[in-house]
Amino acid sequence: MTAILEVRDLNKHYPVGRKGLFGKRMMQVLRDVSLTVHPGEVLGLVGESGSGKSTIGKAVLRLIDSDSAAMTFGGHDLTALGPEDLRRLRKDMQIIFQDPYASLDPRKTIRAVLSEALDTHRLHTGAAREGRLTELLDMVGLNPAFLDRRPHEFSGGQRQRIGIARALAVEPKFIVCDEAVSALDVSIQAQVLNLLADLRVSHGISLLFISHDLSVVRFISDRVMVLYLGRVMEVGPADAVHFHPQHPYTAALVSAEPSLKHAPHRIRLEGEIPSPLSPPSGCVFRSRCPYALPACADSVPPLRPAGDNRLKACIRDDIL
Amino acid sequence: MTAIPASRFRAPAIPRRMILPGVLLAALIVIPFAAPLITEANPIQISVRERLAPPSWEHWLGQDEFGRDRLARVLHGGQVSLMVAFLSTTLACLVGTLFGLIGAYFRGPFQFLTTRLSDVVLCFPPILLALLVVTLFGPGTVTLVAVLSILYFPAFSRIAFSEALRVSALDFVEASRALGTPSRRIVFGTILPNIAGPVSVQYSLTAAAAITIESGLSFLGLGVVPPAPSWGQMIRGARQFMNQDPLGILIPCVALTLTIYAINFFCDRLRDTLDPKGNGGGKDTTSQPTSDGQGGGAAGDVVAEVRNLRLDIPRPGQPVPVIEDVSLTLRANQCTALVGESGSGKSLSALALMGLLPGAIRQSAGTLTLRRKSGEMVDMGRLTPKQLEDVRGNDVAMIFQEPMTSLNPVHKVGAQMVEAILAHRPMPKAEARAQAIRLLTLVGINEAERRFNGYPHEMSGGMRQRVMIAMALTCEPRLLIADEPTTALDVTIQAEIIELLQKLRTDYADGLSLLFISHNLGVVAEIADRVAVMYSGQVVEEGPAKQILTDPHHPYTRALLESMPSSHEEAHSTRGDRLQAVEGTPPLPGRRPSGCTFRDRCPIALASCALDRPPLFGGSDRHVRCFRAPEATQEAA
Amino acid sequence: MGGFLLRRVAGAAVMLFVVGSIVFSLLAVVPGDPAELLLSTGGGSATPEAIANLRATMGLDQPVMQQYAAFLLNSVRFDFGTSIIDGSSIADNIALRLPRTLEIIAAGALLALLVAIPAGTAAGLRAGGRFDITASAVNALLTSVPGFVVGTLFIYLFAQVLGWLPAGGYVAFAQDPVQHLRMLILPAVTVGLHLATIIFRMTRASVLEMRGHDWVRTATAKGLSRRLVIRRHVLKNALGPVITVVGMQLGILLGSTVLVEFVYNWPGLSGLLVTAVEQRDYPTVRAVILVVAAIFIAINLVIDVLYSLLDPRIRLQ
Repeated sequence: MTAILEVRDLNKHYPVGRKGLFGKRMMQVLRDVSLTVHPGEVLGLVGESGSGKSTIGKAVLRLIDSDSAAMTFGGHDLTALGPEDLRRLRKDMQIIFQDPYASLDPRKTIRAVLSEALDTHRLHTGAAREGRLTELLDMVGLNPAFLDRRPHEFSGGQRQRIGIARALAVEPKFIVCDEAVSALDVSIQAQVLNLLADLRVSHGISLLFISHDLSVVRFISDRVMVLYLGRVMEVGPADAVHFHPQHPYTAALVSAEPSLKHAPHRIRLEGEIPSPLSPPSGCVFRSRCPYALPACADSVPPLRPAGDNRLKACIRDDIL
Repeated sequence: MTAIPASRFRAPAIPRRMILPGVLLAALIVIPFAAPLITEANPIQISVRERLAPPSWEHWLGQDEFGRDRLARVLHGGQVSLMVAFLSTTLACLVGTLFGLIGAYFRGPFQFLTTRLSDVVLCFPPILLALLVVTLFGPGTVTLVAVLSILYFPAFSRIAFSEALRVSALDFVEASRALGTPSRRIVFGTILPNIAGPVSVQYSLTAAAAITIESGLSFLGLGVVPPAPSWGQMIRGARQFMNQDPLGILIPCVALTLTIYAINFFCDRLRDTLDPKGNGGGKDTTSQPTSDGQGGGAAGDVVAEVRNLRLDIPRPGQPVPVIEDVSLTLRANQCTALVGESGSGKSLSALALMGLLPGAIRQSAGTLTLRRKSGEMVDMGRLTPKQLEDVRGNDVAMIFQEPMTSLNPVHKVGAQMVEAILAHRPMPKAEARAQAIRLLTLVGINEAERRFNGYPHEMSGGMRQRVMIAMALTCEPRLLIADEPTTALDVTIQAEIIELLQKLRTDYADGLSLLFISHNLGVVAEIADRVAVMYSGQVVEEGPAKQILTDPHHPYTRALLESMPSSHEEAHSTRGDRLQAVEGTPPLPGRRPSGCTFRDRCPIALASCALDRPPLFGGSDRHVRCFRAPEATQEAA
Repeated sequence: MGGFLLRRVAGAAVMLFVVGSIVFSLLAVVPGDPAELLLSTGGGSATPEAIANLRATMGLDQPVMQQYAAFLLNSVRFDFGTSIIDGSSIADNIALRLPRTLEIIAAGALLALLVAIPAGTAAGLRAGGRFDITASAVNALLTSVPGFVVGTLFIYLFAQVLGWLPAGGYVAFAQDPVQHLRMLILPAVTVGLHLATIIFRMTRASVLEMRGHDWVRTATAKGLSRRLVIRRHVLKNALGPVITVVGMQLGILLGSTVLVEFVYNWPGLSGLLVTAVEQRDYPTVRAVILVVAAIFIAINLVIDVLYSLLDPRIRLQ
């Protein structure tokens, strides 16, 4: 099966603040991140703040430029595309945002929001337009009578559905869901998760599902990638990573997740997440890792196979 | 949601508050240009015999020092002033906004150019820059328009730039880029309409300033060239005769001031309309608690009690009930969790117990009682504001959801702790300092001494929340209210804070009671002894945490638990599993349905659920507000 | 803090250099011969000798870059050459008159701060109350009256009708302190009035904004008295934005005081400037503007530093 999205060694720096009179300090938010998304697959990205997960989402859509990477999307070399080709390719890749309040223009009606998408790629013009708009609202479970309303008339959950309809309007093959359910109350979150799961089945869309909530990611994703300070810690099938983590960070993350059923054996992490401005040498997680060895400081542990379809970036096999 | 006819939104109506300033401004702009209809007199026709003549039938406002008709001069002078002002403002607005938009959207060198250019022009005091140019090009209307445009375009480019930068960072602009919408369409179709508000406010501000400068320069004799009339010149001319003829200075002064005032008035109203900032939203004013007088008689281990609390937003006509009926009993060394979705009223209930209700909300019924350290139960509604201050922080303390904004950025962390200590316990500063450092160490802050002397912005969110906890504990309160204390934190940090709170409950002083507010049932399961579930302003289920979380009796509690992915570890979306979600959304306070507030989302609702609000059924340990719950059927039987 | 200060000072120096360059190059971009242009007052053209003479005194006969270097160098040494009108030293003229202008501004600013900050605070703390509504309405009206209109009306009222104060003029303080102060009152109040309306507005808005922050609720929750909450957690935070506005406005005042001085015949920079503009004495105008812009930049530098002392986060940016 050929991948729809293939990313090799994605790196990203941001300039932050100043150093001395003229220098700029650089913060590396992503280091050598590689990932693959297959057609129809959901890849979950989990990590805490500063892990760079949202940056990955924007970089693969080329909404921000990355420093160095080889990215192919549907056979096109993403990094080599000119502005016009990129614009055309955007029909195939879309994004859904976290904040249902900031993601819709308060001045535009739902009709205008959806029409912008259709106009841009000259889809369903003329008489077919009205039918398509109705169909889109139907698809996300909204009453088509809402077309001429503005965002302030909708609740957070309804706005999120409109955001999904906007993404679906251009019939994309791939959607980045950037914390798409994080701002919603739990009962509304369940509605939207179910909708995404259904759409994925009915339309065969691939998702890059970014979230800090492990159980949500486990539920929706085929495979999960765990990030810490801009580096990949572990990749593998969702259930396997969640229930049998191979990397100490994943284990700590899962154990920190508050749970209804059992008081888990909690793995304590020392201290705070280090600043991305001065990450630890070698393994970035070693400063908080309960299993760290002196050798962990020497070199960056490579991602290596760890059983069934899994990879981990840890030099130890004798724990967990 | 009630249906609103779509037609209402096709043509946005003009807000009523804009009508008066709009009409006033329009009148003041139109009248000068209607001069030919008002008077036939020639504004530059000299008649030396009639100099300084008082008002007459031919000359309603009299004649000036050259015998020219004053009415005609005021009207024609207005034409010149308004034309110069609006022409230059419009030019400045067009150029400036374009600069700002380009700078903000394309960044890089455009941004540098836009911001630096503005900085440089803003270095020159406006009048002086105008004088500099007049020196070179000589006075005159064209020079004025050119100077004023140059003078004011940086203000527009600045405003447009910062606003466009703000708007560009919003997700809906990112969404347009992700759709592949061409840049031109994003800039003019999406960003421009969203910055139009602030730009139009700047437009009216600038127009007023331009009139001021134009008339000032004319007053100096360096603006509009005579004989063309202008208000500034009229004042200049009439100055020498102010003794004999005060009308001469009054008329142009009033015309000028009135015009500027009309523009300012319009601008103020416009600003308020575009960016409404409610008055009285200050967090320094609180609404005083009241009392039904039902307090007292509580058992010895009760730390605080909320009985039949009802909170309203006063509105003309019908007040909006935010909280309808909340009762809670908090016992010593117990952690009670208040659970619910956003808008359910859980935070307000807690704020009421602190006497910290926002000024806009009134307690219309219910009693709040609290046990003080002396052992006495006090009715919060009967305390004076002074006594309330003494209770807050001393007997009951609170930590909040947002550690990033809950500490004052301009004071050192230590100073903020010390003032909390000194508010209740007068002691030497050094002693207070030692106690603060001890507390910082207790809540697990490394290098407490250094952090004591640091500012909040130097700390991470988790650390700030620890500081908030330390600060809450300074006076050894019996009750700590924690309002979503971990919601803004990462999950590993959240686990640490929960662990800290757990530890404090047993280790600290004589033990601590916790009122823990959260929307996260997982967190609640870890920390709470008792749980109260809130839905739409009511407690719908209350009882021991274990029972409620494993065997919920209210359909809403059940729905909450079922909709969490973490309660279905065996389920996975790819295997066709779906979460059990309740349809619909919680009703707004003013629009709750009759009967049970949950009935229109409830999977087991009966027709009879629409008749009455269900009371809390059940015995002493467990209560549920549902006609179909086991407790209700038992009571009926 | 050291790095912050150094960056700001460097920034101010660069700004000053740019301002100087602009003032210099304005004359160069004017079409035609500058000397001829400057001497062409009143429509008549000057004699060739006069033009040649002016060229020589202003150094216009030298290459542009050389003129530019000389101009910058001399400006730094506070040497602005001589007036084209009477050949007097421009630096001396400015040194004589600038203190008088600064005196009015200082007196006016002091009055404005004393009145507007307490009034703005009171209005902001009781926003929507009776005092706020009255004060804001009066403020809106006063903002709309230009300084020279206020001045003219003041003269009519206080000097002509009531006869309480002199209509204008100037006596040195050393010569007659009482008369000096009497003559200072009206100009200072006129300058202060406009500044006060702006400070009032800003203080009110800033207090109102700070009151809504979460840390104010934290302070109340700690059990601080309302008085302490206001002083430490509202007013201290509100002061920063107010100071910034005062700084900006002081700079603008340096310009608009020209009009007030003119109204009251106060022999500050305005007399010098107005005559110079009328006579097209470009070297004088240019020097005055350079000095004023330098003061403006210096004021804003001081404000930046003050603000950073009030709010430690500023130093990071």
